[in-house]
Amino acid sequence: MGAIQIKGITKRYKDVIALDNVSVSFDFGKIYGLLGRNGAGKSTLINIISNRIFADRGEILIDGISAKETMAVHDKIFCMSETDLYDRDLKVMEHFKWTKRFYTDFDMNKALALSEKYHLDVNKRFKALSKGYQSIFKLIIALSLSVPYVIFDEPVLGLDANHRELFYSLLLKEFEEGERTFIIATHLIEEVSGIIEEVVLIDKGKVLLKESAENLLEKGYSISGSAAEVENYCVGRNVIGTEELGGLKIAYIMGEKAALPKESSLQFSAINLQKLFVKMTEKGA
Amino acid sequence: MNKLKSAISYGCLTKIRPLVIFYLVEYGFFALIMAIVVLCTGNVEPNSSGAEMASAVFLSIMGALSFKEDFKAFLQNGFTRRYIFLSTFCSFFLVSAAMALIDTLLGNVLHHFIKHFTIFGTLYGYGNLFFNWLWLTCLYVTFCGIFYLAALVINKVGKTTSLLIGVGLAGVILLIAALFRFVFSSELVSRIAQFMSTAFGFMNDGTVNLVFPILTFIVIGAVFGLGSYALIRHTELK
Repeated sequence: MGAIQIKGITKRYKDVIALDNVSVSFDFGKIYGLLGRNGAGKSTLINIISNRIFADRGEILIDGISAKETMAVHDKIFCMSETDLYDRDLKVMEHFKWTKRFYTDFDMNKALALSEKYHLDVNKRFKALSKGYQSIFKLIIALSLSVPYVIFDEPVLGLDANHRELFYSLLLKEFEEGERTFIIATHLIEEVSGIIEEVVLIDKGKVLLKESAENLLEKGYSISGSAAEVENYCVGRNVIGTEELGGLKIAYIMGEKAALPKESSLQFSAINLQKLFVKMTEKGA
Repeated sequence: MNKLKSAISYGCLTKIRPLVIFYLVEYGFFALIMAIVVLCTGNVEPNSSGAEMASAVFLSIMGALSFKEDFKAFLQNGFTRRYIFLSTFCSFFLVSAAMALIDTLLGNVLHHFIKHFTIFGTLYGYGNLFFNWLWLTCLYVTFCGIFYLAALVINKVGKTTSLLIGVGLAGVILLIAALFRFVFSSELVSRIAQFMSTAFGFMNDGTVNLVFPILTFIVIGAVFGLGSYALIRHTELK
């Protein structure tokens, strides 16, 4: 089975280690959420996967082929970037035509249909589009390409709620129609939590975890009550964060829930992916 | 191979619009200035020259912008740096050849009717249209190559270091001029001058060899091309 395999990638910028010996793999046929705080190393990793920058150490294989300077992976992967790399003077339609010439599997009809859905004027030049519509243009190109691996770096930047919803539904439709891998790097965790199957969490240049979103949500919970009782419960458990308010305390825990004694005033609550993310990256381990 | 062809097409076809605007502006100004001179001086055959230099400036800017814009667009579309380099230099050649053809034809036609002088005609004489076109093509490609390399160097080392390199280059030029003026013997200076003349096709016996300047431009272009390739292979998106 195909995959993007990242093996021991290290990238340094002067004194800053952007990625520190990162090893992770993105299997074919799944939707991944690549999560991390600002400066965590997500974009650096994406740029290395898509051959835009080079790693100092390590290698990346796409279906067993090195991703570095190899045209053999050209029709395997596409990266929709947050930064604008397109010629700003070309019209949307011209960009579609060039993409059709560059890639074997670009569906022009789908691109035009999606443009209509999003009310994107294909006769406008890229520079004349608003930030939101520039994102929409890039999304349409990514969604109209039938390559096995598509990476979205902050895909909904500048999009209003309706357009974001439309994107998520289109993405799911694409995924249902043909097995592919989508990697979504975003800050809007709650919005993508219903879509992503696996979470890869990066913090300070390292992979904190790679786990299915379902497992992660099953394992994560919070417990609240009096500070003393909560502290007592937390002994020996994987506490990823705490909050205190007066005499009350909430602890965020990863792992199995233990049965509470009948007289206990402690209360369990489920925690969402965003809360888990915040607590895990706060702690940094 | 198809991918390379499409990248070359992108490099060329996206330059058509600026190229048309350039020629419209250039020859519009040319016609306007000529009309003003004729009307003001009454001279019906005013002198004109240097249209090719305007094209060289346009191509130099295109060379620098090719790195700034096309490089990013090609990376977005999954091309490797080898493909980017090959397609860029192929499109430099094709755009240069097209502009050289326009400049050769217009230059020679204008020379026939008015006192218009082309650079090639002034140096080597008129009449050999093929060599005029080839010489001009090589000159234009060299300009593209120099400015493409300059853009790569600036991107690599940053603005401050680039400025220092520029100051250093100016210093080297002054040093070379001083060496010629005060240090080198007149015999050595004469030999170097002779070598340079030969390199540009002016032979000792007073004849002109049109192949030599072409070869000289090819060598200069290859040096800048190899320099660009060595740099672009390690160039990252910023």
